[in-house]
Amino acid sequence: MQKGFKRKFEPIKILSDSQIEQIHTASLQVLGEVGFKYDSNKSLKLLQSNGCIVDYETKIAKIPPDLIEESIRKTPSSFMVRSRDPEKSIRLGGNTLYFMNSAGARYCDVDTGIVTIPTLEQNNEGVIVSDALDTVHVFPSYTPYFEIENVPPVMSCPVSCAQRIRFSTKPSRGAQPTDTFIWETKMAQAVDSQLMGCVEGAAPLSLSEDACNAAFYYLNAAFPIYIASGSIMGGSHPITVAGASVSHNAELLAIVVLLQCIKPGCGIIANNFVSAMNMATGDLNFGTAAVALHQMAYNQIWHSLYKIPVNNTGSAFSNSKKVDYQTAAEKLPLVMCSALSGANLIVLHGGVTAELAYNPILAVIDDDVASTIGKILEGFNVNDEMIDIDTIKEVGSSGTFLSTKQTRTLWKAEDYMPKVFDKTPYREWLAGGKKTVIEKAKERMADILANHKPRPLTDEQDKEIDRILKEAEKYYEKKGLM
Amino acid sequence: MNSDILDRLKNTVLQFDIDSAEDVAKKAVESGVDPLRAASILTSAIRKIGDRFGAGELFLPDLVCAAAVLKKAFPVINSAIEKNGKETKSLGKVVIGTVSGDIHSIGKGMVATLLYAAGFEVIDLGINVKGEDFLSAVKKNNPDILAMSALLTTTAAEQRNVIEGLKKEGIRSNVKVIVGGSPINQEFADSIGADGYGATAPEGVKIAKELLGID
Repeated sequence: MQKGFKRKFEPIKILSDSQIEQIHTASLQVLGEVGFKYDSNKSLKLLQSNGCIVDYETKIAKIPPDLIEESIRKTPSSFMVRSRDPEKSIRLGGNTLYFMNSAGARYCDVDTGIVTIPTLEQNNEGVIVSDALDTVHVFPSYTPYFEIENVPPVMSCPVSCAQRIRFSTKPSRGAQPTDTFIWETKMAQAVDSQLMGCVEGAAPLSLSEDACNAAFYYLNAAFPIYIASGSIMGGSHPITVAGASVSHNAELLAIVVLLQCIKPGCGIIANNFVSAMNMATGDLNFGTAAVALHQMAYNQIWHSLYKIPVNNTGSAFSNSKKVDYQTAAEKLPLVMCSALSGANLIVLHGGVTAELAYNPILAVIDDDVASTIGKILEGFNVNDEMIDIDTIKEVGSSGTFLSTKQTRTLWKAEDYMPKVFDKTPYREWLAGGKKTVIEKAKERMADILANHKPRPLTDEQDKEIDRILKEAEKYYEKKGLM
Repeated sequence: MNSDILDRLKNTVLQFDIDSAEDVAKKAVESGVDPLRAASILTSAIRKIGDRFGAGELFLPDLVCAAAVLKKAFPVINSAIEKNGKETKSLGKVVIGTVSGDIHSIGKGMVATLLYAAGFEVIDLGINVKGEDFLSAVKKNNPDILAMSALLTTTAAEQRNVIEGLKKEGIRSNVKVIVGGSPINQEFADSIGADGYGATAPEGVKIAKELLGID
């Protein structure tokens, strides 16, 4: 099993107990009085049988507070996601932090910022690079690219899933649109692995039919579920952090209720992907203070009160069009706030240009960022060996610690030396051709592609994946979607 | 007296006073002002807001709230115009919606608001609109423009299906089709046979005006 990073100290708290209670109570009030729209009669019937007041015309279910709190109690505080390589499985929850790859619709040229539709080969290279990076523990759906050249849009999720299964042994999240969960589930089962199923709400306060269908399908396959309700403060959510916290909380709790009604005790990780609206353009603003505060409050509520594992996506993207200073400045504060406030999973590696683009070179750089953050979370030990008072006495006021056994044996224990950040002395940097971090990351990526060989599928498994993809194509052709 | 009430009406827009809009419009009609003059005042005020938005002095919440003032005030004024036996003028009629399988509404809503604010008559079909419902709305309302939004790569193809449906029904030439949404670009719009593409909501309005030959 992949270990991830163990947080050795209490997460940062930004809310008082009474503030948490106020947000929780308001969330219950929203679901009890306004209700939540489930665009699925099957879901509505199930919820009605569990005590919800259902209006089949509007498809809104009003959820009683006791059902919500019972559903929270039924949700485990941690769960496994089994990979095709047992060493790559993960256990989400508790005080463990894992990182999830980011994604983008298209390929971003790292030198020019020009965005193009990636080829299947570029897609596969992106998967192989992330498979080699120690701090990418799990992939989301349609990763690394949402679009692939010559792949019909309706097949992009199944093809993307197939390539991740082929070129990585790490676990993945499934997708939910247009029945793609059928093929993704079959492919995962063909290689004896699990997916994290995906059930994503549509703010404000609704869940599409596709999402409801995905919930039943993935849970029937005994997969844990990744829930989300991506939204925009000022658009589909209130503009204030407190108001958006209540709306978002209510949406995710409504999904938890449905999942626990379908399969009591199922594992759930709840994602926070709330962004702020750019009030000049209507686009998404990444890396803002409001998003960081929203995620920190959310982590505290779900970690301490609900005890349900949490994921944060705020650091997945930057509004910068290139891999540059702005990218780092927007992503780093968000990822740090998420890590320190108790996130179990953070989406980070490779995403740029506000969801529009991805580049594996940025994923390589983000590997150093994630390793540094992981080291910080793991903290340090305070004991006789680590203090080593005898060595301090021995060096006194005139010696050096460089020549001590303590330095030689422990210098790596509490720190991380980045692989691609430039740490060379100035003159060496000049003599070495003044390489930037991007150039060094390109070199590491080339080295990975030349030497990293993900464990291949058996011929039988590979053929089965092909068969499932063909079955999917026929299905969509019949539906007139191809 | 009349100029006072017209100033108040103008200020409901300029000061984003949604709560008073309907009441002030009613008072304007009751005071005997020419409703055509009142409509012109409202249109002129929303244009000022639009200009200030374009100049970066105002932001989306201002624009959307000013449009909401118009939505409250215009029905009252229009009703008075019709009572006088005259017709209200619009720049054109637009049917708009988010395609089937897609329940994202913000981008579509923003385009609808800006079109309305610009002076178009807007028929908003909402989200997750089935192809046949777009076709029915085009047949029923005979719009100048059909505007479709899609936020997901997987649902963008539905825009093509609707355009094909218009062709099959023999009504493609009756309406200009514009498309938008995150996964859409000019190349895609051209490939599905759309007449126009807007990368942003204000661009969508600009394209709509261009297609109808409006300055």
